[in-house]
Amino acid sequence: MNRFRSLWIAILLSWSLGPLLWQLYTSFSSDQALLEPLTSLDHRWTLTHYRSILNGEPPFWKYLVNSLIVSVFSTLLTLVLAFPAAYAITRLGKKIARTLSAGLVLAALFPFVLLFLALLEFARTFNLGNNLLVLCLPYAALSQPLAILILAAAIRDLPTELEDAARLEGFSLWQRVRWILLPLLGPAITSTGILVFLFCWNEYPIALTWISDSELLTLPVAIARIAGSSVYSVPYGAYAAATVLAAIPLMILVIIFQKSIVSGLTSGAVKS
Amino acid sequence: MKFMQLRRTTTTLLIVLLVVMTWLGLKTALASQTVDVKVLMPAPFADATKPLVDQFNQEHHGHIRLSVVKGPLETEAISDLAISSLLLGNPPFDALLMDVTWVPKYAKAGWLQPLDQWFEKAEFEQLAKGVQPGNEFEGQIVRWPFVASMGLLYWRTDLMDSPPRTPDELVNISKQLQADQKVPWGYVWQGRQYEGLSCVYLEMIHGFGGIWYDPSTGTIGLDQKPGLAAANWLTNLIKDGISPQAVANFAEAESLQSFKMGESAFMRNWPYAWAELQKEDSSVKGKVAVTTMVATSEENSAATLGSWGLSILNGTKHADETATAIRFLTSQSAQRTLAMSHGYTPTSTELFNDPELLTINPILPELSIALNHAIARPETPLYAQISDALQRNLNSSLTGESPSNQSMQETEISTEYIIKSAGGRR
Amino acid sequence: MIYLLLPAFILLLLVYGAPMLHYLWMSFHANSVLTGLMPEFNGGANWVRIVSDGRFWQDAIQTGRFAVVSVGVEFILAVAIAILLDQRWRGRGTVRAVTLIPWALPTTVMALGWRWIFNSPYGPLNQLTDLVGIETLNILSNPSISWIATVIGDVWKTTPFMALILLAGLQSIPKDLYEAFKLEGGGNWLCLRDVTLPLLQPYIAIALIFRLAQAFGVFDLIQVMTGGGPASSTESLSLYAYLNAMRFLDFGYSATLVVASFVLLTLVCATVWIIAGQWQQINQKFGRS
Repeated sequence: MNRFRSLWIAILLSWSLGPLLWQLYTSFSSDQALLEPLTSLDHRWTLTHYRSILNGEPPFWKYLVNSLIVSVFSTLLTLVLAFPAAYAITRLGKKIARTLSAGLVLAALFPFVLLFLALLEFARTFNLGNNLLVLCLPYAALSQPLAILILAAAIRDLPTELEDAARLEGFSLWQRVRWILLPLLGPAITSTGILVFLFCWNEYPIALTWISDSELLTLPVAIARIAGSSVYSVPYGAYAAATVLAAIPLMILVIIFQKSIVSGLTSGAVKS
Repeated sequence: MKFMQLRRTTTTLLIVLLVVMTWLGLKTALASQTVDVKVLMPAPFADATKPLVDQFNQEHHGHIRLSVVKGPLETEAISDLAISSLLLGNPPFDALLMDVTWVPKYAKAGWLQPLDQWFEKAEFEQLAKGVQPGNEFEGQIVRWPFVASMGLLYWRTDLMDSPPRTPDELVNISKQLQADQKVPWGYVWQGRQYEGLSCVYLEMIHGFGGIWYDPSTGTIGLDQKPGLAAANWLTNLIKDGISPQAVANFAEAESLQSFKMGESAFMRNWPYAWAELQKEDSSVKGKVAVTTMVATSEENSAATLGSWGLSILNGTKHADETATAIRFLTSQSAQRTLAMSHGYTPTSTELFNDPELLTINPILPELSIALNHAIARPETPLYAQISDALQRNLNSSLTGESPSNQSMQETEISTEYIIKSAGGRR
Repeated sequence: MIYLLLPAFILLLLVYGAPMLHYLWMSFHANSVLTGLMPEFNGGANWVRIVSDGRFWQDAIQTGRFAVVSVGVEFILAVAIAILLDQRWRGRGTVRAVTLIPWALPTTVMALGWRWIFNSPYGPLNQLTDLVGIETLNILSNPSISWIATVIGDVWKTTPFMALILLAGLQSIPKDLYEAFKLEGGGNWLCLRDVTLPLLQPYIAIALIFRLAQAFGVFDLIQVMTGGGPASSTESLSLYAYLNAMRFLDFGYSATLVVASFVLLTLVCATVWIIAGQWQQINQKFGRS
């Protein structure tokens, strides 16, 4: 194993990055070059795909902004709802806590795409469609299980003496939370926040059913919808350009926050 | 001195304010006069109608601005796009170019506006007879035809003097030609599991004197004698070697390719194939003619109607202007332009005899005849589901997985269940 | 204290609990464009229909096949990756970050990329086969093998997730256990089988069940990559339910499909859970932990 380690690492890297790098290559290739890879150099490289994406109607950055709005507000809403619930679970009796946790695990396992129909009817009845902020509600709801489990696990890991001491000193619940728990839970909150953010950013089926206005689309739906510009073929060059543009912010996010992501995933998944 | 400066600045500011407000006022006044009409079309049609749209906008400058929203290439994807907006109660388009099979569904859902306000019944009757089915719902016209298409039997003029008129004749002629080694295959058609197969089957079940499904009476004819005969006939084409096994995976493109290379005596396809067959790289250039599909009797001969038309979506704020745009895009001059530039089949009866169009498209007379035999697919909002049931079962017979009688029985049962579970009064 | 729980749990009940009950209720009603998209009681007509619905059963088998094969392949790859990342070497952190990238991207984004990669005849895969001299692979339009392409797409995206969980498990195993085992003369493969895997058992169970449940509900990848595939050969249960609602405007039948899918999913996961439990019992019996 050890002798070939460099080989394995190389394979792993090329497997993980390969398809993306291919998209990068495709995004700069002219349509002609895509069909005949050995085209002469003058017709090979082009920026037209990026231009068509960025100048599209609406322009690409609009989708990024929409996704950003939804993801940020959903994350905030999730944390605001999940934190008290996580705290409560850790302070309730063992039996109740275990039942609730089990319920949360079941909810986390549930493939939420099956909820699309009920959510669609909800949107139709209460006119909730095509509203980015309202979309945060189902997102926050779907993120609750994971968020509560991760936060509860983190809170449980904290030594209780600090909080007990504070309670004896007469600090109210809110004060204890604000001055003791929150600072100590920084890493856990970051992990949860990042994971929820990633989930909301990448979510597809619910955004697909709740948002139809092309100005309000989130990134995954917009990319799936890029209309054919040519009659005879799918515009793979344009898709590739969109892929690269969509991937860049996420890659940056992952590289910066990778420790958070990993710890969040493992603690949440494992401790449940 | 200061006071003078102050007065001057204030006056300048007031003048600037006045100018700005007048400009804004004019802009809003003009803007509120120009009505934006948006039509969603599949990409090929959007490209083809561009010159017409420009012409329209020139003629109606300042009043109406027509813009065509280019939708995805795939037919069903356009419908999905429109439906996702309509279900949320928020259509971003004023009009939609609709495939004929969507009309009952959209109309029943209440998404289409009746057109009788802007289009007279008399005008409708002026259209070619075959173009009329598929545009009405519960007695009202909800879609105005834009381009028509129908199923045709293509035959090789160098291999026979006259085309077969009955299914048996087609089989016999094919067998003879294949025995004489004149051509490897007798008949290529669309047998893949997709909507095209339903079109082929519809022509055959009518050809044998039956019907698929009649929504008004609830009759399903799939397991009756004509239905079984049609399925048997198609399955036997493959079994007896008249059509290659690959036909079970052919769509329009593959069957066209095969016929173009001279591999077959007959082909079932749409009018667009004619132009393809006259290209330089075609082995059968100049050796092809079209006629109506074979049937047990002249009146049973059927051509599946495939047509696109424009509908006004309910909820649009500019129905009048949209109607004007629709009238323009479907006018005789527009039809003439599209026929000349893209070979679209016209919808007005007169244009079929137009000498100029005849030079571009010499098979217009045959198209006109075929149009008279046009049959619409069952006009029910449940069409997509019953078509799916037919496609999968019939295709499994074509691939030899199950006997054709059994497939038709199963399709019949599935169709019944679909109708029953969807409720309502058909 | 309970009040702190309420907002979160009310939201959860609204979004998870209510819909499933609603679906069950709806499955006994007709709710289609023919009923004006309003529910009308129709007894068990939807259930009678689903029993003989060839497409439903085909999709059930396809989804099951997709889930099992995909998770199986992911598992093997994830074990290998986890073992690799568990060791200490320079640049491990960066490589781990890079490994995470496929998982962090939206599925739809890469789904189109995969469509291009498998494109016949222009995609890179076919360019490769051209170079080597193999016949053009028409994967995405071949009903028998297009599902394999979707499995590849899914494996690429979700292997990092499983690898991370297994990595956490590996990191919780004390290194002295390996040393002790090696001292007693155990080779690498035996070490894997008798030490690592049994100790990883809880992590494996979690990863498998979680991934299996998610894979059963696969939607994004299939809808964008193949749209259900040639002749519904890659169609998943959730996609069929979606099409019934959004394309056929048959909400009642769509609800029936969701309930049926959920039942199937529960059966499959319960089976895996029981098997995992049995395996743990067996391991404990033979004193391997």
